[in-house]
Amino acid sequence: MIKVEGLYHSYSNDENYAVKNANFEIPKGEIFGFLGPSGAGKSTTQGILTGLLQLQKGNVNVAGYDVKNISQKMFNKIGMSFEQSNVYSKLTAKENLDFYRKLFDGQTREPADLLKLVGLDGKENVRAGEFSKGMKHRLTFARSMINNPELWFLDEPTTGLDPAIASEIKDIIRKENNNGVTVFLTTHNMFIADELCNRVAFIVDGEIKLIDSPKNLKLQYGEQLVDVEFRKNGTVVKETFSTIKEEEKQRLQKVILDYEIQSMHTKEATLEEIFIKVTGRGLV
Amino acid sequence: MLKKIWAIFLRDLKVGSRDSLTLIIIIMPILLGIGVNLLTPSINDTTVNLALLEGENPAQAEYFADFAKVELFPNEEAIETRVKKRDHIVGILPDGDRYYIMSQGNEPESVIEMAKLVNMYYAEGINLEDATAKLFEFGETVPPLKKMLTNTLIIMISILGGMLITFNIIEEKTDHTISAMNVTTVSKNAYLLGKSLVGMLYPVFSTIVILLITGFRDVNLGQLILMVIVSSFLSLLIGFIQGINNDDVMSAAASVKMLFLPVGAAIAAIELLNQKWQILFYWIPFYWTYKGNDAVLLNSATWPQILLYSGIVLALGLIVYLYLSPKIRKGLA
Repeated sequence: MIKVEGLYHSYSNDENYAVKNANFEIPKGEIFGFLGPSGAGKSTTQGILTGLLQLQKGNVNVAGYDVKNISQKMFNKIGMSFEQSNVYSKLTAKENLDFYRKLFDGQTREPADLLKLVGLDGKENVRAGEFSKGMKHRLTFARSMINNPELWFLDEPTTGLDPAIASEIKDIIRKENNNGVTVFLTTHNMFIADELCNRVAFIVDGEIKLIDSPKNLKLQYGEQLVDVEFRKNGTVVKETFSTIKEEEKQRLQKVILDYEIQSMHTKEATLEEIFIKVTGRGLV
Repeated sequence: MLKKIWAIFLRDLKVGSRDSLTLIIIIMPILLGIGVNLLTPSINDTTVNLALLEGENPAQAEYFADFAKVELFPNEEAIETRVKKRDHIVGILPDGDRYYIMSQGNEPESVIEMAKLVNMYYAEGINLEDATAKLFEFGETVPPLKKMLTNTLIIMISILGGMLITFNIIEEKTDHTISAMNVTTVSKNAYLLGKSLVGMLYPVFSTIVILLITGFRDVNLGQLILMVIVSSFLSLLIGFIQGINNDDVMSAAASVKMLFLPVGAAIAAIELLNQKWQILFYWIPFYWTYKGNDAVLLNSATWPQILLYSGIVLALGLIVYLYLSPKIRKGLA
């Protein structure tokens, strides 16, 4: 669905690249997470893929279209949910969606259905200017689905949303993905990436440092240890056991059988920890 | 593509109807048109009006009726009341065996002179048949002040059309919706056309309303609309660039208002300056617009003349377009 080869981009048209030699491929039906701190090059890459930025160097193919000579028809296949809400504040929620559906050629979705999907039912006739930040964000998210996109670009889709709504948004993303929609997810939130993505790319200073599935990364970079707290002779004892070494596995088994276990935690690495380990950088 | 252009136009129209500043811009020319009517006499009100005492001298009243519109009143107070009204009417009243002129004071000199002259002719017993003069016309078939104000108003309307575009672009910038538009199937050209429709149709519609209000109903509408459309082209470009360069409507409106400077200069040049100085103002598109509109309002314009003026305005507009187009496209990216 997306193929990027040797992508470079410089805002100053010199060797000071915001994106350097990016190469990746996203097959149809995948949720691909593009992770990195602010200023890493995520938005620049996404801007080029969506035609918002001019392709300077490299080959980029999106939804079967060469981005070098971008065709407006490409946008019939693409949906884009921006990090910053961008809806017409003087139009109502329904008017916003009604307007955008006229800007696409194919079959579009019913505005009322989309508003219901994102929890804005009952607010159809309220002007977007009167919406809270979270409601505007949901309207922006709903609009990105208006044209039934095959490829869905999501930029920080849960930012600024309360946990319940964020959970609903994640469910919608999963559901759309199950229906065959390919998702390009740009975020610095490792938890949503971990929950949703089939594969993630770590980008720092314009360079992609790594691409793999969250599961593989955890296996590769996580420590396979278990922290156990148990009561021994009236006092609480804390010990760490390897889940690989045979001797420690037997000791752990014995502790479980002989003593009262207070708590037990695996020391699986989080994506954030792996990111820091790989890139040497935090995510903020 | 046409469907999308139309959708953009309708959206702008809907948003405009919910914006107080836009509504003011839409209503203002209508109010100004009514103002022009109040300030200047009616387009047909070009004859001299005389107020006389009823039955005082019927022969004189009959004689005056050949030269002017005569109104008769029962007494001097009634004539005084009538003369004090807004339009230009002078009284001719008896004073012993002579007559005196009663005027409000703001009548054009020509009206007073005409009243004096007619009175003198009657006293001397001069008839129309005695005249040996040939008739010359100066082409002033409509009141010049009214024509000038209406023409200025029409040009102002085209600039206000540009201002509507400015407000629309600023609204898009404030709502950050330009990026959302850029990921739809609407091309840049279609977007620009859609946005331009408001700035193009508003001057056409408002000009027709102004003509109806001010009484210029018999002018060649085709010629005038052509002049309005070509002069709106320039206003559209300025409207776009000011929308891109400004982040709030007040500063944008102030910038667009700068356009009134060349408009004022062009009008002053045509109305006040000697022909030999006119060349200094040929570079101002509104100079040619004013000339074209003036000829149309006078009902003296020919199509070749209007095509020439509109061609010059369009050519000057194209130069501005070539300069501004890359900036507009970049600004909307």
